[in-house]
Amino acid sequence: MPANQMTDTTQHRPATGRRRASPWGWGVLLSALLVASIVAAICFGAADIRPADVFASVAAHLGLGDSPLSVLRDGIVWELRLPRVLTAAAVGAGLALSGAVMQALTRNPLADPYLLGLSSGASLGAVSVLLLGLGVLLPIAAFVGALAALLATLLLAGASGVLTPTRTVLAGVAVSALAAALTSFVIFWSAQGDSFREILNWLLGSLSGSDWTTVAIAGTAVLVIGVPVLFSGRLLDAFAFGDTTAAALGVNVAATRWTLLAVTALLTGAMVSVSGSIGFIGLVLPHAVRLLTGARHRLLLPLVALTGAIVLIWADTVARTLFDPRELPVGIVTAIVGAPVFAALLARRSTR
Amino acid sequence: MSRRPHALLSLAVVAVALTGCSASTAPASSPATSSTPSVPVTIDNCGFELTVERPAERILTIKSSTTEMLLALGLGDRIIGTAFPDGPVPDQWAVEAADIPVISDFAPAQEAVLDLEPDFIYAGWESNLKSDTAGERDALASLGIGSYVSPSACKEPGYKPEKLTFDLVFDEIREAGTVFGAEDAAEELVAEQQGALEALSPSTDGLTALWYSSGTDTPYVGAGIGAPQMMLDAAGLTNVAADVNDTWASLGWESIIDANPDVIVLVDASWNTAASKIEMLTANPVTAQLDAVAERRFITVPFAAGEAGVRNVEAVASILDQLAALDAR
Repeated sequence: MPANQMTDTTQHRPATGRRRASPWGWGVLLSALLVASIVAAICFGAADIRPADVFASVAAHLGLGDSPLSVLRDGIVWELRLPRVLTAAAVGAGLALSGAVMQALTRNPLADPYLLGLSSGASLGAVSVLLLGLGVLLPIAAFVGALAALLATLLLAGASGVLTPTRTVLAGVAVSALAAALTSFVIFWSAQGDSFREILNWLLGSLSGSDWTTVAIAGTAVLVIGVPVLFSGRLLDAFAFGDTTAAALGVNVAATRWTLLAVTALLTGAMVSVSGSIGFIGLVLPHAVRLLTGARHRLLLPLVALTGAIVLIWADTVARTLFDPRELPVGIVTAIVGAPVFAALLARRSTR
Repeated sequence: MSRRPHALLSLAVVAVALTGCSASTAPASSPATSSTPSVPVTIDNCGFELTVERPAERILTIKSSTTEMLLALGLGDRIIGTAFPDGPVPDQWAVEAADIPVISDFAPAQEAVLDLEPDFIYAGWESNLKSDTAGERDALASLGIGSYVSPSACKEPGYKPEKLTFDLVFDEIREAGTVFGAEDAAEELVAEQQGALEALSPSTDGLTALWYSSGTDTPYVGAGIGAPQMMLDAAGLTNVAADVNDTWASLGWESIIDANPDVIVLVDASWNTAASKIEMLTANPVTAQLDAVAERRFITVPFAAGEAGVRNVEAVASILDQLAALDAR
């Protein structure tokens, strides 16, 4: 993309489209919606289990009463559905948050959490494990791959001078292309029989491998990395007016950008390691939520995280139930829904 | 290396020029004036009109199912090379197959194919005969190389079998006999396999089964219309994925756990062994609760036996043997 496009910003516009609702009101509403979504989503699935039994089973695991279900059906609720819904919530929140931060840091409306080569790096790590049989756990390999790609991107961008948004994005494009080529090479060279299906599932982004471990990984990342990032809103607001203004406002531009990039990348790396690269959540949702909040990051960040959690829960519920008993990778659903939404946002923006 | 007669080639060129159609350059069927009644013969193979002037002499096979078909028909000496093997051939042909060079572990490229100078390519999948693999069938035909695809693997509507049956597999053996000039051997093989199949006594215990090929997060399983379904039917087992109208499908674990199959048929391939799947099923807290996993009621089938071909009857027999062994424990 041309450099002038990259300096286009979504943040410098005054927040004209903002609704008059109080930010606390939105926060409470979305939090309630998130809890309701979790409760509702665990009632959907290929197995026909009554909602009352689902709740009783969950309650039993929380130490309240006995589960009315057989061991297997109890397993469906407690080992499959609940961890999957919770993983979806954590991954959705993490991706949406990362996307919003990346867009602000790079002042690029097309930025998404995978911008800096993260998803390509993670894919390379994962495919290496799936196909070459490296003796490493898949999430670890994906995480290491994501971090290696990030490091390569930042070194490449930093090597040629000051770490500017444009340079960082371009370095990310280069690293992504290389990692994607290596991934294709590994697949082409060694995929046998139907092993490519597992890879495709992973490359498109899927939550079907969720269990309590993935809940722990994604949940911890959101709590430990995501929650502190929520408080960076004031810094990001300063960035929106350009590096000079930010510096004038007392922000140490270079250090802040490096830190936030690295921290967001860690968050994204954790998400990719459990779910593959699910697209559009981190790209589209920040734009959509900005319609509510305007460009104020102090509001945008918490609300976009909640929205991301809700949207991914429902996208994944569709992915696992629409063609029951077959399953779709959730990345297909987010792309099918995300692309038209993005187009609508684009149309709305141009008519203003 | 045999070539088509020039007259026929130029006839084909004229026909193409006249009709302006490049879909098929195979010469039209000529009247059976030959002394041998079986050739020349024209076959509609996956929508490609294949005319066999004389039985092929230098055959390249792609995928195990085709190699094994020729070996079973006693035509192993005409195979000059093979590609994309799915695993070792059964013991009875091991010595004969050991001499066949494997030109590629995957679908070979055109140049590697032409370098062998085959006069015929016998492919297991349609995708083996595309420009990025062994070559388009028309292009091969213009070089005098005939091609034939296992009919059960045809993808075009009207050619794709609605549901694979042993009758279709036997028809496939007979058609291969016609194409490769081994009709008697084919009839014998069909009679033998039919006899073996009828001699089997399917399980009458009303057991359900899952045919599990690969995939840990989203298992890839044999569904309602392919070779796995056909073999499970013949063994008297009810496929838990029978309702899915496809040969194979990616199922969610939830529906499998809900179905709780009595036995699990594990596909054993070098890249995805039955042992690795047992390990995964046992380690996962939910799947470990499945009756078949808890009681270790596993049945193993080699990957190559999972495609339509000469090993299906034997695979059903093996499934029934393993089932009996499980019951005897």
